[in-house]
Amino acid sequence: MTINTPVTDARPAISLRNVTKTFDAGGGLVHALDDIDLDIAPGAFVSLLGPSGCGKSTLLRVIGDLVKPTEGVVEVNGRSAEAARKAREYGMAFQAPGLMDWRTIRRNIELPLQVQGVPRNERRARAEEMLELVRLTGFENHRPRQLSGGMQQRVAIARALAFQPKLLLMDEPLGALDEMNREYLQRELLRIWRSTGTTIVFVTHSVSEAVFLSTEVVVMSPRPGRIADRIPIDLPYPRTDETRMTEEFYHAESRVRTALHSVLEPVQVG
Amino acid sequence: MTQLSVAAPVRLSIRGNVVRAVYPAVLVGAVILIAWELAVHLFNIQPYLLPAPSAIVAEFGKSFSTIASAAQITTIAVIGGALLGAATGVIAAFIVALFEKFANTVLVLVAILSCAPVVALAPIFNAWFGATSLMSKIAVAAIMVFFPVMVATTKGLLSVHPLHRELMESLSASRFQLMVWVRIPGAVPSLFDGMRVGATLSVIGIIVAEYFGGTANALGVLIANSAALSQFPLTWAAVAAASLLGLVVYGAVMLIERLVAPWRFTPASR
Repeated sequence: MTINTPVTDARPAISLRNVTKTFDAGGGLVHALDDIDLDIAPGAFVSLLGPSGCGKSTLLRVIGDLVKPTEGVVEVNGRSAEAARKAREYGMAFQAPGLMDWRTIRRNIELPLQVQGVPRNERRARAEEMLELVRLTGFENHRPRQLSGGMQQRVAIARALAFQPKLLLMDEPLGALDEMNREYLQRELLRIWRSTGTTIVFVTHSVSEAVFLSTEVVVMSPRPGRIADRIPIDLPYPRTDETRMTEEFYHAESRVRTALHSVLEPVQVG
Repeated sequence: MTQLSVAAPVRLSIRGNVVRAVYPAVLVGAVILIAWELAVHLFNIQPYLLPAPSAIVAEFGKSFSTIASAAQITTIAVIGGALLGAATGVIAAFIVALFEKFANTVLVLVAILSCAPVVALAPIFNAWFGATSLMSKIAVAAIMVFFPVMVATTKGLLSVHPLHRELMESLSASRFQLMVWVRIPGAVPSLFDGMRVGATLSVIGIIVAEYFGGTANALGVLIANSAALSQFPLTWAAVAAASLLGLVVYGAVMLIERLVAPWRFTPASR
């Protein structure tokens, strides 16, 4: 329980200072991120929410050291993002499953463990565990193409969790799932997060998903990508399907929606 | 959903697909052969211009031992040329893929080189290796096979799915791990695309090289000599044997691909 309560005076797990990212998009410079300051406490579950083009995916990739910021500093657990990546502290899941066709489902989940040189037996055991977690036991020897898109995405999540990373970076991983699978995996994700103490940064454009999952929702505004608002979500854990129907949930959702609308309004007026 | 209920219809549909793919081709082939046969008889076409299919089949039966022993030598040369060309092509592709920066320059050079009519080298190779030596034929075929295999494999090794690249990068995988687990398996389909083109080219290369002289019993020599002696039914029968050889080699490549890259033939779930 205590593990997920952000401790304000502890060193943040992720710390961004004056992070700016500009892309040269042929026609001119695109300001994907503009002067981002953000601290994320260890064990927090932070959602990045915003309209498309607000730079939330770019921000996630900057934290994950897949994209270098043009300016600014990114620190993860007190060292550079690059050092954290090299120390293999990141687990990542993307919008598309990105499974490897030539590997069976089990071997896809084993890949991160294989990269880290985990022995075969242990890999296999962990993969079985992960398959059970995402309810795909029995499919270990199937090929990705034999699975539906939703099932593939569950495999991708299992792969990201396989080596119990300190930091989980997720880019709309549930976006392609049907409602039932999505809500199931939201609950599972919360359960995993609470049992492991992993810090999770989660990109989404679903307000209710962000509210249900997060300790804090970071609302971003587009062109240039900026942090518009940070809304702590105080709903008590464990959150269940009943939580979604409470008045507190509705209020939290409304607060986030209001912030999101204020991000969009100036564009319409001006 | 049990494993069995997933696997059973899959296998059935593969067989169904093969029948559906082959059936029209066989039908069209049969119609052409019948039309050919009728045309020869109706218009009283002389055998030295165009023998009827039935006459070619009869000649094939009559000269079977001659054709078979010629085909044997030619088959060995075709396989030798295909293997040598493929092996050198794959090795060259690996070397080029290691120096990614220069890859495009090399590919352009190779594209220019591959425009040269390689069969024109046959007389030169005859002078180098001796006209009756198998090597003089294999060398021609190998060079012809080399180009498509090398180009396709290089492109396959260089093109990594962006998500796979990001995943491996986030795991801080080494260049070697990326090569073994992503680049190589990802290049296998391209390699076989090149090999399918190469299989046909190898037969062409060997037959044409044999026109320029070779051991008395080889299909190319048989075709050239029988035509010179106006034994056209024999020429046609030998041409038919060469076509059959081309088909068999092409089929063999497809069969090997199914064994090496079974994932490519797993039908999608929907």
